[in-house]
Amino acid sequence: MDEKKLQNIFYNTSYGKKILKCIQCGTCSASCPLTGLMEHGPRELFALIRDGDMELALRSETPWYCVSCYQCVVRCPQEIPVIDLMYCLKRMSREYDMVPVSHKIPDLYRAFSQAVDHHGRISEAMVMANYGILHPVDAFKNISMALELLKRKRLEFFPRQIIGRRWVAQLPAGEKVRKNT
Amino acid sequence: MKYGFFPGCSYNSAAGYRQSVDAINRLMGIDLVEIPDWNCCGATAFFSLDEFKALALTARLFALAQASGFREIVTVCNACYTTLRKANQILSSNPETVSRINEELSKESLLMEGDFSVRHYLDVLYNDVPAEKWSENLTERLKDYEVACYYGCQFTRPWGDIDHMEQPTILDRFIERLGFLPVDHSARTICCGASHAISYAKECGLLISRIIREVRAKGGRVITTICPLCQFNLDSGQKGIRNPIPVPFFTQLAGLALGINASELGLDKLLVPINRILSRKL
Repeated sequence: MDEKKLQNIFYNTSYGKKILKCIQCGTCSASCPLTGLMEHGPRELFALIRDGDMELALRSETPWYCVSCYQCVVRCPQEIPVIDLMYCLKRMSREYDMVPVSHKIPDLYRAFSQAVDHHGRISEAMVMANYGILHPVDAFKNISMALELLKRKRLEFFPRQIIGRRWVAQLPAGEKVRKNT
Repeated sequence: MKYGFFPGCSYNSAAGYRQSVDAINRLMGIDLVEIPDWNCCGATAFFSLDEFKALALTARLFALAQASGFREIVTVCNACYTTLRKANQILSSNPETVSRINEELSKESLLMEGDFSVRHYLDVLYNDVPAEKWSENLTERLKDYEVACYYGCQFTRPWGDIDHMEQPTILDRFIERLGFLPVDHSARTICCGASHAISYAKECGLLISRIIREVRAKGGRVITTICPLCQFNLDSGQKGIRNPIPVPFFTQLAGLALGINASELGLDKLLVPINRILSRKL
């Protein structure tokens, strides 16, 4: 899809236009606990979007590193809801099939939502199991921890079944809801 | 005092959180009524993947609370707390989304309408239980015990209404009320890495060790937390380091101050043992 069109789609989401207020001061990047891992910090990411480099922005790992600590949000002098924009970029990258394959958090989130879809609730062990299929090394590293938890009776594999799990499982995807309205 | 209660998915496996909350409720006459058939709040994962589902999950919780006659919901987890508050904020300004979600909810004969007040259990213990009630019930044994309070991210941020967003003191004030000595430090709301610690353990380990180092430098002998994920990251993240600092929940410390036995508070479930420190002082 052409980048101008993607940029417009982004601007027309709930908070998209707010990045036009960005003064490129870098407070967000300086406040981010994981900025050191990002190829572009949030400031650069916003510059990319405004320049229309949408493909680069949507394929960026930056939003997936965001832990939602809200440090950037509360410090931004322009009151830009940085985290909501990160959520929006993550959702758009899914919709347009640009999720960075090298990043592990999309798999972790999918493992999480899979557990919710099946049971209505999660257990840490179940999320780890779903995730561990894709990233056995990470799962393996947690085995000794799992044993420690087991020893202390803190490990539940199956979350308690809830009546509403079927309701949760049948929820339509947001994309579908939007297209039907 | 009666509240609708949303325990969240991590509550049961969190080290003695449930035991200590139950013990305090019994002693202080607080009634937390579990919202029947509650589901996962969706946390940041659902906001990252699908906003409609994220809002629908939380709306179901609100609808269940409403059906039980509660418009006030108490949580014990920072992530649940901010997820619910955030969803409430979005829903209350998006009537179209609410009616679309209500269409879904009607399949379960549920309906969600209006605003909900979401509160953290710390807020209840500090603001709703009168200070005198705590002082009447305190035992003297834990006086001058240095405690570092760790708030994590999603309690004061992005809200800023309950306390300062970066240097809050409500937990320090609560701990002081219980007779402990809160130590001043600058890691109160520094991020612990949250769920990213699973996938990026090494990188988040640096965030955790920064918190531990700061607390140690300022003389904290225990770190107390108000969130299961913060507790788990700080507790498990000290594996292999010398003289690890125990990380009890604030409710476990409150229980100790009220004279409840360590075993009844689930303190044996912590990964970094607290016994050594307790027995030295007591």
